[in-house]
Amino acid sequence: MDSCLGVEQDLDKATSKFNALNDHTNKVLEDIITQVEDLKKEISKQPPNSPLTPTQAMVLSDLAANVKQTVFQMSTEHRELHATVSRVGKSIDRHFIVDYASVAPKAESFCSDTNRPIMEQAIAQHLYREGLEEVGDVFVEEAGVGAVERTCAFAALQRGAAALAAGDPAPALAWAQRRAHQLLHSPLPFALHTVHTLKLAREQGVGAAIEYAREQFPAHAARHEKQLAATVCALAWLTPGAGPPPAHYHRLLDQRALGAEAAELFLREACALLRLAPLSPLAGAVMAGARVIPALHDIRAKMSHQHVAAAWADDELPLEVELGAEGGSYHSVFACPILRQQASDANPPMRLLCGHVISRDALHKLAMGVKLKCPYCPMEQSPSEARQIYFS
Amino acid sequence: MNEIKSLEHATLKVPYEVFNKKYRNAQRILDVEARQVGSAAGDLDMTARKTGVTTGEIDSLLGGMVEKLNTMKRKASEAINEEVQAAYVCKKRLEHLKEQAEALQDPSSTQRETEPMRVRYAVPVRTSLNHWRKVRLDRMLVDYFLRNGYYDSANKLADAKDLRELTNVDIYQAAAEVERELIARRTARCLQWCADNKSKLRKLGSTMEFNIRIQHNASCPAHIYPQRYADNKSKLRKLGSTMEFNIRIQEFIELVREDKRLEAVRYAKKHFSTYEKEQLEDIQHCMGMLAFPKDTEVEPYRGLLAGGRWRALVEQFRVEHARLLHPARLPALPAALQLGLAALNTPQCARAGAAAAGCPACAPPLSALARTLPHAHCSHSRLVCRISNEPLNEHNQPMALPNGQVYGEKALKEMMKEHGSIICPKTKEVFCMKRVEKVYVM
Repeated sequence: MDSCLGVEQDLDKATSKFNALNDHTNKVLEDIITQVEDLKKEISKQPPNSPLTPTQAMVLSDLAANVKQTVFQMSTEHRELHATVSRVGKSIDRHFIVDYASVAPKAESFCSDTNRPIMEQAIAQHLYREGLEEVGDVFVEEAGVGAVERTCAFAALQRGAAALAAGDPAPALAWAQRRAHQLLHSPLPFALHTVHTLKLAREQGVGAAIEYAREQFPAHAARHEKQLAATVCALAWLTPGAGPPPAHYHRLLDQRALGAEAAELFLREACALLRLAPLSPLAGAVMAGARVIPALHDIRAKMSHQHVAAAWADDELPLEVELGAEGGSYHSVFACPILRQQASDANPPMRLLCGHVISRDALHKLAMGVKLKCPYCPMEQSPSEARQIYFS
Repeated sequence: MNEIKSLEHATLKVPYEVFNKKYRNAQRILDVEARQVGSAAGDLDMTARKTGVTTGEIDSLLGGMVEKLNTMKRKASEAINEEVQAAYVCKKRLEHLKEQAEALQDPSSTQRETEPMRVRYAVPVRTSLNHWRKVRLDRMLVDYFLRNGYYDSANKLADAKDLRELTNVDIYQAAAEVERELIARRTARCLQWCADNKSKLRKLGSTMEFNIRIQHNASCPAHIYPQRYADNKSKLRKLGSTMEFNIRIQEFIELVREDKRLEAVRYAKKHFSTYEKEQLEDIQHCMGMLAFPKDTEVEPYRGLLAGGRWRALVEQFRVEHARLLHPARLPALPAALQLGLAALNTPQCARAGAAAAGCPACAPPLSALARTLPHAHCSHSRLVCRISNEPLNEHNQPMALPNGQVYGEKALKEMMKEHGSIICPKTKEVFCMKRVEKVYVM
């Protein structure tokens, strides 16, 4: 936020200066034009072949000098704005990171001849998955991408969600109806009925909406009592001539926000049901990447020492980044609580007799001959009683 | 540090470059117009001082001056308005970034959303954040398309998602045209572009113009280079660009190809004399070419005469054009993609049979890229049930089957309810619930 505000300040300053300059230039030029025109009028009153009087000559020289000075002044004034303009550029450079790619040394190789087609295949896949067939076709053509599956189950969902976000719940409702038996515990059907009820109230009047609500809502009354009441109450503000609604109905009455929210819920629930990932591989990876970049910039800023440079060449990222609930964990990762490192084939997780899990290397280190005391509980056991387990 | 600060430099810098260019353009217009009006004023002054001048003469001089002043007023106002417009594009993007700046501020914002105070607002906040992220991906894609010359795709995507103002499609329109012309073996547009950006290209050390000129030497006569030629000379020069050089070379080659050797020599005299020392060798090759037939097998002349040079010129143009606008060499997309894959990459991703549904680093085609990348650093275990994809924690205990495979308690109980026994999804062995043991992971 600070970075945006910093740039905005400089930019606003520049814009206001340019606007002021524009007004000023217009005014000054207008003034000078009227001056010249007035003089011209005065002179043209005399017959065209009468000689110029010395006074008139003086006035003319003055005017000429004046005009000259004004126009050059104007170009100087504009030139002086150079500092303001370049300050905006410097402000952008200062507040944002210029060489963001420096923390991703291997990104370059993604654009090489062998890897680019792979990346572009993923892009095409993403476009088709998002239901952007037209864009995908053009891209496949332009970039010369090899075979890509053009249809996918997700695209249909995506279209339903897009329609929902645009205010039309019909395709999503149809989908939910088909799978009603699997959605018994999901908040989705009720959310869709809510959107549809409010839409009916807007398009066909509250009467039709109440009709629809009577038909659909009783089945959901037990689980969504409060929201149900709120939705029906919200109808009151959709009758023509109703006053502005109180604040807690804004969410329900804001058609776009409600649509977007329902669309997201729809995608989430449908993906869970169909066992699809809500994000395409490309989107998932890019989102994770966007989360990682700031952290990497942070440590890069902290460690510019050359000894630390080796950290970038290692085969692990130099730090752990929390990727959040939506975009992080696809695999189980077991990190040994004793050695604080990831388990591997050579050093697999072992379950002790008491149920605690440590890595095999840690087990060997802790074992005293045939005796081993669990580091987490008082239980003594033999190392041979530990058993390898598999998280993946 | 946050995602906006880290990734959005180019989003603002590119429209700023346009703004800066418009500023310089306006300055030039103002200077030219001021000079015109100034000389008119000088004339007036001189005439007024002369003896025996009639008011009729003065009247017409004054009339001319009013006309010039009016032109200046119109042009100045147009130029300044263009500047303001360009600044407005910047502003527009800034507004878009600000929308989510608060939510993206610190990575712990996801935790904050679950505080009781915010619960009521949590869903809309997350919805709009997710929407913003989607838009960001689309912006990255458009940027990637533009910088790789996929102009139609970029246009289509920007239109489909209504992103024209937030992406650089309009700025790249001119570049797309230059490339089309180059592919059609016409150099005029490219040379004009070189001229427009001469100073900056020179700074980049570009040999573009030279190459084009060499190629040219016949396809079009030399008088087409407009006066705008000298406009952005310094900027191009500062960047040390060789674009112009290469274009000139290409034009020369075309002259030779058409066997207009004398004209080629004239062209060389005219354009090659001003280049730097480093280009001497290329110039020598070019002049050497004059001694060979156009279907020669002798290198380097055969290479110079090859048609593939046009393609290379397009590539060079694209690179130089991007260098002028973007300080960063790579688009954001590959950088974010690489780091994202590295952050999601686990040793299991590459192992056969361990692919997790939805993991970007497991599924082809990206898996091929992930294989070459480092793994995520992880010092705390992070367990996911392979059956339900739900996290394993105190609410969903990890349980080990007798064969050592670990799954979530919930999923195993569900399986018991359905089948009355547990079938390990991995090995297909059958167990009863009694033999399943708890696992404690610290």
